[in-house]
Amino acid sequence: MSTTMTRPRNLPVEPPKKNRGRVRSASAALWDASPLTYLALIITIVLSIFPIVWSFIVASRENSAVTDIPPPLTPGPNFFDNASRVLANTDANFVYGLINSAVVSSCVTLSVVFFSTLAGFAFAKLKFRGKNALLLIIILTMMIPTQVNIIPLYLLMVKFDWTNTLQAVIVPFLVKGFGVFMIRQYAESAISDELIEAARVDGASTWRTYWSVVLPALRPAAAVLGLLTFMETWNDFLWPYVVLNGDTPTVQVSLNILATGYYKTDYVQVFTGTALAIVPLLLVFIAFGRQIIGGIMEGSVKA
Amino acid sequence: MATNVGEVTGPRHGRAPAGPSKQPSRRSVRVGRLDLRLSPYLFVAPFFVLFAVFGAYPLIYTAILSTRKNTLTGGDAGFVGLENYRKILWDEHFWIVIFNTFGLFFVATVPQLIFALLIASWLNKKMRARTAIRMGVLIPNITSVAAVGIVFGLIFADRYGLANWLLQSVHLDPVEWRNHRWSSWTAIAFMVDWRWTGYNALIYLAAMQAIPKELYESASLDGASAARRFWRITVPLIQPTILFTVIISTIGGMQLFTEPLLFNYGRIQGGSLNEFQTVAMYIYETTFTNNYNVGRGAAISWLLFIIILIFALINFALVRRSVKGQTS
Amino acid sequence: MSVTSRRLRSIATATLTVGLALGMTTACSAKKDAEPNANGTGPVTISLSYFGTPGFNQAVKDFEAANPNIKVDVKNEGQTKDFAPKLAQWISAGSGASDVVMLEEGMLLQYLKDNKGFANLLDLGASSVEKDYLSFKWKNAFTADGKKLVGLGTDVGPLAMCYRTDLFQKAGLPVDRDAVSKLWPTWEEYVKQGEVFKSKNTGAAWTDSATSVMQPYIMQNADSWFYDKSDKYIGDTNPAVKKAYDLGLDMAGKGLTAKLARWSADWDAAFKNAAFATVPCPPWYTGVIKERAGDAGKNKWDIATIPGKGGNWGGSYLAIPEQSKNKKAAFELIKFITGKQGGLDAFAEAGPLPSSIAALDDPKITDAKNEYFNNAPVGKIYAGAAKELKPIYLGPKHQALWENAFEPAMQAAEQGKLSAQAGWDKAIKDSKALAEG
Repeated sequence: MSTTMTRPRNLPVEPPKKNRGRVRSASAALWDASPLTYLALIITIVLSIFPIVWSFIVASRENSAVTDIPPPLTPGPNFFDNASRVLANTDANFVYGLINSAVVSSCVTLSVVFFSTLAGFAFAKLKFRGKNALLLIIILTMMIPTQVNIIPLYLLMVKFDWTNTLQAVIVPFLVKGFGVFMIRQYAESAISDELIEAARVDGASTWRTYWSVVLPALRPAAAVLGLLTFMETWNDFLWPYVVLNGDTPTVQVSLNILATGYYKTDYVQVFTGTALAIVPLLLVFIAFGRQIIGGIMEGSVKA
Repeated sequence: MATNVGEVTGPRHGRAPAGPSKQPSRRSVRVGRLDLRLSPYLFVAPFFVLFAVFGAYPLIYTAILSTRKNTLTGGDAGFVGLENYRKILWDEHFWIVIFNTFGLFFVATVPQLIFALLIASWLNKKMRARTAIRMGVLIPNITSVAAVGIVFGLIFADRYGLANWLLQSVHLDPVEWRNHRWSSWTAIAFMVDWRWTGYNALIYLAAMQAIPKELYESASLDGASAARRFWRITVPLIQPTILFTVIISTIGGMQLFTEPLLFNYGRIQGGSLNEFQTVAMYIYETTFTNNYNVGRGAAISWLLFIIILIFALINFALVRRSVKGQTS
Repeated sequence: MSVTSRRLRSIATATLTVGLALGMTTACSAKKDAEPNANGTGPVTISLSYFGTPGFNQAVKDFEAANPNIKVDVKNEGQTKDFAPKLAQWISAGSGASDVVMLEEGMLLQYLKDNKGFANLLDLGASSVEKDYLSFKWKNAFTADGKKLVGLGTDVGPLAMCYRTDLFQKAGLPVDRDAVSKLWPTWEEYVKQGEVFKSKNTGAAWTDSATSVMQPYIMQNADSWFYDKSDKYIGDTNPAVKKAYDLGLDMAGKGLTAKLARWSADWDAAFKNAAFATVPCPPWYTGVIKERAGDAGKNKWDIATIPGKGGNWGGSYLAIPEQSKNKKAAFELIKFITGKQGGLDAFAEAGPLPSSIAALDDPKITDAKNEYFNNAPVGKIYAGAAKELKPIYLGPKHQALWENAFEPAMQAAEQGKLSAQAGWDKAIKDSKALAEG
C-alpha cells in the first residue's frame, strides 16, 4: 500500500539563476488570482452559502414562512424572539449542549491531531517491520460501516458504565484511521527524507525529530485535519443521541429536541438553534483560519 | 519509496534542532539504536490500542452477530450459520440497494472530486479576503445535518419547492424529484456535493501548499500553459492526496446514508419503489425499524464492508495508474 | 493579514478559551445521577422518557405535589423516529431505559409480542383501575394470550373529518358541520360527493392521498388488519384490506386525491395552499393542520363526523421496563398521568384526548371548543366518538408493515408508477415478506 511519487521528468528542477527580476514578476502573475478566478469562487461561495443564509432568514421569521413560494429573501423581525425561545427551552438544555459539545469536540480534535501526526509520520517516514500491513489495517478500519457498530459499542459503554457521560462520546473517537491516513499521505510528499536524516545526524531522537521538525512541517495538514475533526464531532448526532440522555446533551441532541413537536416540526426553532450552533464553529474557523492558509505565500515570496 | 519533492527547497518550517553536534557516546549510540527500532511502534501504538477496543471489538462482535438469529426486541435465538447471508443475497431488495449505492456513488463523487480540485487550485492563489473566501467554501460542512436536510427537502419539494420554481420560471416542466431514479439521484448528488466538495477542496489545498513554487515558475518560463502546469505539476505532485480522497470518497459513498434519508423526509425506504435507498439505509431499516433484526443487519454490514474493501482496492489501483500516467 | 482580521482572530481565540474553560469546569463538576433509593427510606427519584409534545409537564408537577416522596426526572427524548431504535437498544442491553417510557401505538405492538423487557402492570395492581379507561384502549395493551398488560393508555385518536369551508362554499356544498356530516354517511357517499366537488373545478383535490383514506376505512370496518389473533399474516386474505385498497385507488383514479406523500414538504405546503378539501382527522391531527395551514387558514377549517362508523388512529401508552428498580413508584406515576387529573392537564397543555373516561366526561373537555376550527365543539365531537371505539387487533409489526411495505407500494400505484394490480401484488408481497422475515 505504499505510494511512490516520481518527480515529473520534463521539468527543470533548478530554478533559473538569471533574471531574478523576471522571476519575481512572473511569480506575481502566476499567483495573483485573475478576475475569472474571483468570479468562479464567488459563484461557488454563493451556492455554498445560500441554503445557510436562507436558514438564517427563516430563523428570523415565523414557521409558515418556510413553505412560502417564492421564498422569503429578507430577514424578518423575529430572530431575537426565536433565539430567546431556543435558549429558554429547558428540555433542550441548549447552552449546556453547546458547552458539552465544545468540550467533546476539543478533546477529540486535540487527540486525533496528535495521534494522527505521530502515527502518520511514522508510516510515511520511519522504517519498521510490518509497516505496510499495519497501514492496511488502518485503511481497513475506515471501511467499517458505522450503523451497526453502534450496538456493540453501546454494550461496551454499558459495561464500562459510561452511558450518559461525556467519556462515552470522547474516548471511542480519540483516534481516527482517516487522520492517520491523511497525514501519512501528506507527509509522504511534504517532508523530505533528507530533513529527517539531517535531524538524525544532529543527534535528535525520533521524538525530538517529530516534535521540532516534523510537526511544524505538517502544520497545514494538521490544521485541516483538526478543523474537519472538530466539525465532524460537533455535528455528530446518531451516537451521542444513543448514548447520552437529555441531561447531558451535545448540541445536536439539543437540536433534535428543539425539532420535535407532536407530529410536527418546529422549523423556526431548528433553524434558530442551528444558527446559534454554528457560531462556535465560526469562532474556531476564525481562530485557526490562518493555520490553514498559512505557509504557501510566505514560502513563495521567500524563495 | 522515493518521495523527494521537498528536495528542491525543503519544507518551510522544517529545521533541524540547533545546537552543537557532539560525538555520540557508546551509550547514546545504543539508546539511539533502541530509539530507531522502538519509536515507530510507540508512535503507532496508541492508534492500535484504542482501535482494538473501540473498533476491532465491535467488528468481531458484529461478525458473530451475523451468524445468529437475533432481534433487538426479542433477543438472541441461537446460531444459524450463514442463513442470514443466504436470505440477503437471495433477496432482490439487496441488489436494488447495491445498484443504487454504486449509481449514487458515481453520480456524486466524480464531479465532486473534479470540482474540488478546481476549487483548490483557485484557492491556491494570492487574493483579497483569502481567509473569508476559503471559509466560504467550507461553510456547507459546518452546518448541522438536520438543518441541511430540512433546507434541501424544501428546495427539492415536488410541487412547492424552490428548484421547481426556478425551472418553471424559465418555462421548463417541474420535476417530481422523488418519483424517478434519475431525478432523485440528481438531487441527492447535488446535496452530497454541496456538503463535501469544499471539504475535499480544502484537503487538496493543504497538499498543494507543499508544492514548491519554483516548479511552477520555471515551467511557466518554459512556456507551459496553466492547464499544462495543472496536469503536469499539481496533479502528479499531490497524487498521494488524490488517492487519499478517492479512497475516502469511496468509503463515504458506499456508506451514504444521511442525504438520501433526509431527502425523503426521514423515510428509510428511499422512494416508494426504493429508487434511492442505499445499503447503509437498508442496514438501518433492517436493524432499527421493521424487525429490529440485528443478526441480519450485521450480515449486511459485513457484506458492505467486503464490498467497500474490494471497490476501494480497485479504485486505488485505477487512480494510481492513471495519475502516474500523467507523469511519464 | 490586516489589523482587523488579526483582532478578530484574537477575539475568537479568547472567546474559545473562555468557553472551553467554562466547559471544563462544568464537565468536571457535573455529577452522575444519584442512585435510585429503592429502600423507601427517603424520597425516591424515578425517570420518565417521552417524545414529541404529549403535555406531561403540568401532570408531573401535580403528581409530585400529591406524592412528596417521589421525584420525577422528566426526559424529553426528541423525535419518535429516533426514540424507537434507542429504546430498542436499552431494552436489548438491559440498561439505560427510564423507569417509565412512552410508547407510540406501533412501538407498543412490537413490545406486546417481545414483552420480556417490560413489567406486567397487572402484577402492580392495574386491574383495580380497569374501569377508569376506555375499554378498547385497555384491551389493546394486552399481550396475545391476554395475561400481561404492558401499558396504560395516555391518549386516543377517534376519527373525524376535517374540511375546508371556503372550498366547500366554492363548490356549492353545504358548509355547516351537521349538514356536512349528513353528506357522507358511508365512504361510498363520500366518494360521490368528491366527484361532485371535482366537477365544480375549484382547483383543489378532494383529499390528500389514497393512503389516508385506507387507514380509517380499515380501522372502522375490521377487527384485524395484517394479522389474525395468532399473529399469522392475513393481509392477502383479509377482505377489508383489499376493499380499502380499492377504495383508495379508485379515488386516485378518479382524480380525487392530491397524490401527496404524507409528512413531506409538499404535503406541509399543501395545507397552506388549500390543495385539498377534506382529510380524516383524529384530535392530535388538528394541531397538524393548524401548524401547517398557519394564520391564513384560521376559521377556514371545520370538523364533521367521519364516514362510516367510528375508528381510532394513533394514541400512546406509558409502560415500565423490566429493568426499572422502582416499579411501584413508576406505576403510581403512570396511573396519575393516564388518570383523570393527568389527562385533563395534558389536554389543557397540548391537546391530546385522554383515554380516562372520567376525564372525557369532565366539562373541561366536553365544553372545549377549537377556536381555529370555526369554534368547533371538539370536546363533544371527539369525546363522543371516543366512547364508541372498538378494539382492533393490529399485531407485532403492524407499523412497519403499513409504513415501510404497504403504504410505499400503494403510493407507487397512486403516482402511476405501477398499475393498481401491480401495486397490490407488491404491497402484499413486501408486507408478507416483512411479516414472515
